[in-house]
Amino acid sequence: MSNFDALCANDAELVQLRTSIRQFLAADRAEFGWQPAVDCWLAKWDPDFSARLASAGFVGLTIPSEYGGRGLGYLHRYVVTEELLAHGAPVAAHWIADRQVAPALLSYGSEEQRRRLLPRIAAGQLYSAIGMSEHGAGSDLAAVQTRASRVDGGWVLNGSKVWTSGAHVAHQIVVLARTSALDPDHRHAGFSQFIVQTSSPGILIEPILLMNGEHHFNEVILTDVFVPDGDVLGQIGDGWHQVTAELGFERSGPERILSTATLIFSAIRALGDVDDGVAAKVGDLVARMISLRQLSISVARTLADGRDAANRAALVKDLGTRFEQDSVELVADLLDYVEDPEPLRALLATARVHSPLFTLRGGTNEVLRGVVAKGMKT
Amino acid sequence: MNELTQLVDDLCSRSTGDELWRNLEETGLARLTSGQGAGPADAAIVLSGLARHAAAVPLAETDLLAAWLADKAGLPVPSTGPLTVAITDATESGGRITGAAHDVQWPSSTVVSATRTADALHVGLIGGELRTVDISVFDELIRRGAWARCNQIIGALDAACEMTVAHTGQRVQFGRQLNKFQAVQHSLATMAGEIERARAATALAVAAAADYGFDHPATDYAVTVAKVAVGRAVDPVTTIAHQLHGAIGVTVEHRLWRATMPARSWVDEFGTTATYARRLGRIALAADHPWDVVVSYPGPR
Repeated sequence: MSNFDALCANDAELVQLRTSIRQFLAADRAEFGWQPAVDCWLAKWDPDFSARLASAGFVGLTIPSEYGGRGLGYLHRYVVTEELLAHGAPVAAHWIADRQVAPALLSYGSEEQRRRLLPRIAAGQLYSAIGMSEHGAGSDLAAVQTRASRVDGGWVLNGSKVWTSGAHVAHQIVVLARTSALDPDHRHAGFSQFIVQTSSPGILIEPILLMNGEHHFNEVILTDVFVPDGDVLGQIGDGWHQVTAELGFERSGPERILSTATLIFSAIRALGDVDDGVAAKVGDLVARMISLRQLSISVARTLADGRDAANRAALVKDLGTRFEQDSVELVADLLDYVEDPEPLRALLATARVHSPLFTLRGGTNEVLRGVVAKGMKT
Repeated sequence: MNELTQLVDDLCSRSTGDELWRNLEETGLARLTSGQGAGPADAAIVLSGLARHAAAVPLAETDLLAAWLADKAGLPVPSTGPLTVAITDATESGGRITGAAHDVQWPSSTVVSATRTADALHVGLIGGELRTVDISVFDELIRRGAWARCNQIIGALDAACEMTVAHTGQRVQFGRQLNKFQAVQHSLATMAGEIERARAATALAVAAAADYGFDHPATDYAVTVAKVAVGRAVDPVTTIAHQLHGAIGVTVEHRLWRATMPARSWVDEFGTTATYARRLGRIALAADHPWDVVVSYPGPR
């Protein structure tokens, strides 16, 4: 096997998968007419697309076949993920369930939960939100105050969550809550995770609109919401470990590099004959993307081999999201050289609205950089 | 740790300069690819290892460039002693070739000249006959040089980073170690990020050379990407390294600049960062879709 191809995530089997997802996307777009979007994994919610993608076999790639998935490896998932993002496909509906909830269920879920939820995730028909941040707990997640109290047969949750993407259209929210009182010496102890149905009595979901009116975020207020024992995710008291253990995959994945890919590619393709200076700008942009992707793949391979790459994963997120942000204004400069830039202006405008979020979501870059620096030992 | 890395560390810890060169010759490292049949992957380890120790020896020039080029032209070179290349464009008129090579590295070594005219490359030892080889040899020569510089720069940046991490862990100001300050932590993280990204791009260039050889479009692609990624890392990394060291880093007694200054000059050699950025830009602009260029070398292999 060629080492070069392996580093590019282009080994024979992956190339085949890449070709088939590209064929699916081209045919699906031709038939259903969706437009490649910026930040599609947050912004483009299309349940029908999710279902079609799943029936073509491109959701639940790493879910074992006994639970309705494909039973493939992490790099297979990587290839499909990056192709979906590079083509700006409307993936938001099933995204969080497939990316975060399925791996958590496989690591910590009960057998009953896996049998109940994983087949629906693999079918692209279960939509999930993640309830982590709160008004007083942003970068400092350990400040979460939502409480779960023991009652007969389950738990009762009280508190409120913010920035809960997609909660208003999701079936369930995976909520992080305190199950024992704060111990100032062990701030990360005493958390647990609960799978909460959005239809449960006592849940109020209010929109938090973006400046342009887009509705992705929500405030979720939980008032005496009952969660049966069967919907506790993992072990009581183990919540912090559960939410942080899998962060490496989440931080180092293609969604930290490619949120603006459709804007970048559309601009490059719209450029006609350009001088050397503009060609160099394009080259710099592309070199940043390629080198980031190489780093991201190398982290993915390390993690897939079961080795530690926490520090480099945090680096990918810091570098990748800053690249996403920078790319927006670099493309804005390139539009000077595009004959008819008007069709691209709408993408650019959306990218400018979403751009501040790139370096915030999933842990701010300031926090990540502290993590990286502390891991740099002599 | 890799055996070769260990050997380089060992040689560099007990010798420098001419003595180090003799040790490199005795262990076979001086002619690793041209004499020992080793491949680019091993050459990369040795080049970055030497640079990490700020070892001033013309290994890239001797092994990857001059010995290889002379062999291409069928010219014998001395089997010991350092070699180098003098690269120039020249004009041909009336049976005479005229040109001047600038910035020849290690000029006291045995010099193999590489003189490019409109349609051929002329190779010779100073004072000896010129042999004519295909013009494509010139491109490979430059590609080998750029590839070597990427690996050397990674070694130099690693050294700068190691020194900076050590310094900020020892130096105390305002009653605290420097690395306890968030502003300093963020600068350290920036350094690490730039280096890891440059390393990932260089790893691809090393894999390409190992899999396909230097005379291959996939290697040309990967070296082009790496030269840009590495080139763009040098300024932020060396700037932060000096900033976090304070003024001591530019003094004759300190070793920081022995890592940062070579990195800063290597970055311009065998084509500037801007030159390679322009080339990559042209590749992306000419592609069916820029994404194909991001994912891999888009042409046949």
